[in-house]
Amino acid sequence: MRRVWFAVLALVYLEHLELSMKVGTAPICAYGQAGCHILSLADFFDRVIQQSSRMHGISSDLHSEFEQYFFPSKNSIGKRKCHTYGILTPDDKENAQRLGREELTEVILRLLEAWGDPLSQLYWSMSQDQNQDFNHYSSNKALEISDMVHELRDGVEKMAEKMKLLGVLGNTVSYISPESLVPSSALSFYKQGEFNSLDHHDLLYCFRRDSNKVKNYLQILKCTTLPGLDC
Amino acid sequence: MGRRGGGGLVMRSDGVLCEMWIGLSQGPGVAATAPLGPHFTDCISRDQVTFQCWWNPGDFHNLSAPGAVRVFYLKKDSPTSDWKECPEYIHSNRECYFDANHTSIWITYCMQLRSQNNVTYPNDKCFTVENIVRPDPPVSLNWTLLNISPSGLSYDVMVNWESPPSADVRGGWMRLEYQIQYRERNATSWEALEMQKQTQQTIYGLHTGKEYEVHIHCRMPAFKHFGEFSESIFIQVTKVPNKESTLTLMLVLVFGVVGFLIVIMLVVISQQHRLMMILFPPVPAPKIKGIDPELLKKGKLDELNFILSGGGMGGLPAYAPDFYQDEPWVEFIEVDADADAGEKEDNQSSDTQRLLALPQPVSHHMNKGCSNAISFPDDDSGRASCYDPDLPDQDTLMLMGTLLPGQPEDEEASFDVTERAPAPERSERLLVQTQTGGPQTWVNTDFYAQVSNVMPSGGVVLSPGQQLRIQENTSATEVETQKKGKEPDGSKDTEEKKQKELQFQLLVVDPERSGYTTESNTQQTSTPPSSPIPGEGYQSILPQPAEAKPAATAEDNQSPYILPDSPQSQFFAPVADYTVVQEVDSQHSLLLNPPPRQSPPPCLPQHPLKALPAMPIGYITPDMLGNLSP
Repeated sequence: MRRVWFAVLALVYLEHLELSMKVGTAPICAYGQAGCHILSLADFFDRVIQQSSRMHGISSDLHSEFEQYFFPSKNSIGKRKCHTYGILTPDDKENAQRLGREELTEVILRLLEAWGDPLSQLYWSMSQDQNQDFNHYSSNKALEISDMVHELRDGVEKMAEKMKLLGVLGNTVSYISPESLVPSSALSFYKQGEFNSLDHHDLLYCFRRDSNKVKNYLQILKCTTLPGLDC
Repeated sequence: MGRRGGGGLVMRSDGVLCEMWIGLSQGPGVAATAPLGPHFTDCISRDQVTFQCWWNPGDFHNLSAPGAVRVFYLKKDSPTSDWKECPEYIHSNRECYFDANHTSIWITYCMQLRSQNNVTYPNDKCFTVENIVRPDPPVSLNWTLLNISPSGLSYDVMVNWESPPSADVRGGWMRLEYQIQYRERNATSWEALEMQKQTQQTIYGLHTGKEYEVHIHCRMPAFKHFGEFSESIFIQVTKVPNKESTLTLMLVLVFGVVGFLIVIMLVVISQQHRLMMILFPPVPAPKIKGIDPELLKKGKLDELNFILSGGGMGGLPAYAPDFYQDEPWVEFIEVDADADAGEKEDNQSSDTQRLLALPQPVSHHMNKGCSNAISFPDDDSGRASCYDPDLPDQDTLMLMGTLLPGQPEDEEASFDVTERAPAPERSERLLVQTQTGGPQTWVNTDFYAQVSNVMPSGGVVLSPGQQLRIQENTSATEVETQKKGKEPDGSKDTEEKKQKELQFQLLVVDPERSGYTTESNTQQTSTPPSSPIPGEGYQSILPQPAEAKPAATAEDNQSPYILPDSPQSQFFAPVADYTVVQEVDSQHSLLLNPPPRQSPPPCLPQHPLKALPAMPIGYITPDMLGNLSP
């Protein structure tokens, strides 16, 4: 009986989740309501790719600044795993291009979802630790990328909706949260004892890499969906 | 710093062993005692799909043989990965090539050199492939001329290229940003333009005649390494021969000059009258009221005489036809109807005498001293502004007196006019009279002279009046002096009238000279040097003392004026050098005695005045009022 109840509740919850997510992610301007500027899919892609480029650029800057400040003598390679190791990503061009649009979109969304919290915590941590000059001057970058990752995630979702509407994207894209694939507390993944600059470094390295992945995947998605002048 | 890089193991606080890679930095010029072993020189990926690594045997030349050194790599894509040997050797290059199957992006690779005996040489090289990407240079670099500046000295150029074929931009796998660099042929440093995501760029401001070298390279955005430079292209634009430009310049010049001339012509034509006025000011012709101006022209003297002498109509009609309707400001010479012809024949007497009404039976009022007579509504008033020695009747005299407030009505008193019966009642004259015998010079201080001082003896010292002095003072003083010598004047006058020649003595204190000179020609009248007032040109007016009534002869100079009779013009100049406002007529013109420095009045042909001309009674039209300086 309890199991049944539990299952029913779970189902209801999931449905609710799904519904809410659907409602929450319902595109605002997809149907061209009054007062809303209709974006074409190309516009969506341009915006999203632009955003991801910027995000990657800032994260690169932040990472290199970090390295220069703390490890001025040599570029160090991050040794630790990144907390997104559970998300399977295509690691070369062939695989990425062979992957369908739906999977690619899904990967993108997962990656973006996985980085929302850690970046916010990174910013919080950096702003707390004002003793370091680096933190003082670079925490705004952390804030920026933290915001961007959230925006980008929303943007990609909207774009996926639009693609579905246009029929270029199948309906198999799932909205399952990647939390199952990612440690619940991403930050603790990086944290060894006190969360300090070293941990920051690993996190930054990982995010830099993942933002590059997102950027590349989005580019491939665009060029396979809308081959055109920009590709 | 010449320290070698090396790996090391570091224990973190949580007990995990980490490999810390300290840099492989080889500083310049440090004497490394230890020989340099084999090491990797570089690892590069061109297309983010494959990559290569090159190594160098270092100082160990025995290791340069192929196969002496082996390459191993570790791909950290799983925790259980291990070292593998290079998938493809290119020994000629000492290169290890990783093809697409062995290349993964975003995964750390570590490269290692080992000897034949599995002795690991230090200095591993670790990287991720996206970080070692150096794209190939763009291809098909070309340029087109955009424009040339009007001066022909500089021009703009558009440079076009294409992305390198090895980089899969089409598929979206790589994005590139480009950088153009250019320099002059002989320069040493390159000028870099800003990064460009498009495959074209404009270069501005190149100079004609110079040769430029341009090349380009690219990189992935947000990554560090640029690829190699492309082959240089050369840009040169030679100066276009200036034939067209000189021709246009000539045309422009010609048109400009022509236009300028046209404008000048227009100006001249439109302002013709004014220019003519400026360049050739009109000489006022005599205008006599009632007489056709045609008659006044040259060669018509007979007719003029006829008319003036009465003609067949008994002189000028009472109401003369108005020949000057369009010139309302015209001044007329008043011609008295009953003027007899005797005046003209009377050439012996000087004009000044006539003007001053010295004893000549001048009966008509043709006043040669007047070029312009004020034309009052009634005929009589014309005389007021001129010397008018002939005031035959008292009415006119009174009129004149009223018109000339400062002027003593007694001008007749100074005149030897026999009919001046009522003269004695007038106040003494304050006229300046010229010596008749002398040169025909007379002073244009007929009605006004500024009193500069009053002598203790009672005389009034007049100043020649460089500027328009205070007329009130003058007139006041004149009135005063008038009153003084009122009574005795009568006797004086009568005596004077007898005299033909009036000799006067002028006490002129030359302002330039310190002293004063007395000028007297013939008999000296009693002109005691009244008071040598130094430093001032003046005319000392002998008082008309009631008490001092010497013999009549001594009273020659009844006129309180002492006049210079010397022909020296410089006395005259200061004496009469002022203009007196006499009246403002109905048209709001000022009736003046203009400074005689103006053009000599044309109606004094017999009087070649050396100094001042006869007093041309001038006036100022309202539009010249502005020029009048007080």
